[in-house]
Amino acid sequence: MTDFIIFSVTTIAIWSVLGISLHLQFGLTGLVNFGQVLPFAVGAYGAGFAAVHGLPIWAGALIGCGLAPLIGVLVILPAGRLTQDYWALVTLGAGEIFRLAMLNISGIAGGVEGASVVRLGDRTLAMVLALVLLTGTALFAFRMDRSPLGRLLRVLREDETLAATLGRNPLRFQLVVTAVSWVMAGLAGVLYAHVTGYVSPSSFMVIETFVIWTAVVLGGPNTIAGVVLGTAVVQLTGVSTRFIAQWSHLPSELVANLRLAAFGAVLVLVFLFRPQGVIPEPKRRYNADSR
Amino acid sequence: MLIAADISVAFGGFQALRSVSVQAAPGSIVGLVGPNGSGKSTLLDVIAGLRQPDGGKVQLDGATVPLGRPDVVAGFGIGRAFQVPRLARRLTVFQNVMVGARGQSGEKLSDLFLRPGRVARREREVEAAARDILRRLDLSHKANDYASDLSGGQQKLLSMGILLMAHPRVLLLDEPAAGVNPVLIERQIRFLRELRDEGRIIVLVEHNMEMVANVCDHIFVLDAGEVIAAGTPMQIRADARVMRSYLGQPA
Ligand SMILES: Nc1ncnc2c1ncn2[C@@H]1O[C@H](COP(=O)(O)OP(=O)(O)O)[C@@H](O)[C@H]1O
Ligand SMILES: [Mg+2]
Repeated sequence: MTDFIIFSVTTIAIWSVLGISLHLQFGLTGLVNFGQVLPFAVGAYGAGFAAVHGLPIWAGALIGCGLAPLIGVLVILPAGRLTQDYWALVTLGAGEIFRLAMLNISGIAGGVEGASVVRLGDRTLAMVLALVLLTGTALFAFRMDRSPLGRLLRVLREDETLAATLGRNPLRFQLVVTAVSWVMAGLAGVLYAHVTGYVSPSSFMVIETFVIWTAVVLGGPNTIAGVVLGTAVVQLTGVSTRFIAQWSHLPSELVANLRLAAFGAVLVLVFLFRPQGVIPEPKRRYNADSR
Repeated sequence: MLIAADISVAFGGFQALRSVSVQAAPGSIVGLVGPNGSGKSTLLDVIAGLRQPDGGKVQLDGATVPLGRPDVVAGFGIGRAFQVPRLARRLTVFQNVMVGARGQSGEKLSDLFLRPGRVARREREVEAAARDILRRLDLSHKANDYASDLSGGQQKLLSMGILLMAHPRVLLLDEPAAGVNPVLIERQIRFLRELRDEGRIIVLVEHNMEMVANVCDHIFVLDAGEVIAAGTPMQIRADARVMRSYLGQPA
C-alpha cells in the first residue's frame, strides 16, 4: 500500500510538472502545443544518451534540459508566424519526428530496444525529488502567472495584434515562454528516466500528449491548482487501471483502451460545458478609487 | 508632423489605396472621412505597421517610421485604436489599461526573479496611472469588470484608455464614436480636445461628417482609395464633389 502511494505521488508530481509547463504555454499564452511529450522525451533521452555513452548523470540532465528549450525554439521560430492551428500540427509532427528518430538511430540511446539508465533504487527519494521539482516549477510558474509578464501573456492569448500595437513583439514573448516551459518538461523527463530506469521510444507516443492535455483541460488550463488537480485525477485512473482490470475480470488491454476513450469523452464534455475547467482563472481585483 | 506619403495598397486585384498622402501637425485633430470601403481603416493599418503597403512611406517628425512592424511603430509613439475594439476580453478593465504602459520591468523574466523591488515599484506606478486614466474616462466604476462585459461605447473608451497609458504622440482613432451613445460622444469630444491641447497628433476616422466638422482642424476626404478633397471643415462643406460622393451613401 505504501509502495502504491509513493508510486502514485511520484507519478502525479512528474506529470503535474508537464501540466504546469502546458499551463504556461496554453493557459497563459494561448500556444496550442500538441507536442508536449517532445520536451519530456528530450529530457529523458538526455539521461539515456549519457548512460549509453558513459557520461555522468548530471551531464545527462544538463543535455536533456538544455536541449529541450533549444529544440522548442527551433520548432517555434518557423511556426511563430503561423496561426495557432498550424502551431498545433507543427508541434505534433515534431514530437513524432523525434520519437521516430530515437527509434531508428540506435547510436543515441539504443533505438527500438531503448536504454537502461541509473534507476533511483530508493523510491522515497524518487518521490521527494519529484515533489521538489514540482514545488520549484509551481513557484516559478506562479511568480510568472501573477506578474506583469503573466498579464501580458494573457493579452497575447486573447489578441496578439493588440499586444503588437502596444509595442510588444509577440514572437519574442512566445519564445521566452517556450524556452522556460520546455526546460520544465525537460527536467521532468530527466527525472522520469531515472525513476523508471530506462528510456524507450514507446514511452513517448502521441498518446502521452493527449493524456497531459486531458488533465490540463479537465482541471483548468489557467491555474496551477487546476492543472495539479486534473493530473491527479487522470493519473490515478491510469495507475488504477490494472486494479480495475483484476477486479472486473476484463482484459487489461481493454480497460486501458476504455480509459483513453473515457479521456476523450471528458475532453469533449469539458470543452462543451465547462471550457475553463474545474478551477477557473480567478479575477484579479484592483482598487480603482484611491490610495 | 506625421506624414504618410504616396501610400498604395492592393488586396489581390482590388486597389484599396491609390497613392494616398495625408499629414497631421502636432496639436491638431485631422479627420479622415469617406464612404464605407473607401480605405480609411486600411490607411490607419499602414501607418500603424499592421499592413505592408505596396508603395509609399511614413514619417514622424522627420524620422522614417518602419513599415509592417507594429511593435516597432508603437515605439515611435504611434498608437492605434480599432474600429472593432481590440481588448483582452477575459481580463478586467483595470488590467487592460495597465497593459498599455510601456517599459514594464516585470515583463522581463530576469527582473522578475532578480529585481523584485524594482518590479513592485514600477507596478505601483502603473497602477496609479491606470487609476488616473480610468477616472479621466469616467470608467472607474467598471474597473473590476471583465472587458467583455462592457457596452460597445465603453469598450471604445477603454481602448482609448489603453492607448493613453503609453503617452503616445500620435493617436490613430478608428470610428471612436460609432455605436456610442450621445452622452459618451460628448465626453469623447471633450477628451479629444484636451489631448489636442496637450500637443498630440490625432487622426480621427469618422463616418459622420457632422461630428468631424465639429472637432477637426483639417479634413481629408477619401473615396475609392483616393484623396478627393482636403481642407478645413468649412472648405470641405463647400466642396461639391465631396457632397456628391456622399449622395446615395447615407451614413
Ligand atoms: N484584408 C482585406 N482583404 C481584402 N479586401 C480588404 C481587406 N481589408 C479591406 N479590404 C477592402 O478594402 C476596401 C477598404 O476597406 P477599409 O479600409 O476597411 O474601408 P473603410 O475603413 O474606409 O470603411 C474595402 O473595399 C474592403 O472591402
Ligand atoms: Mg473602417
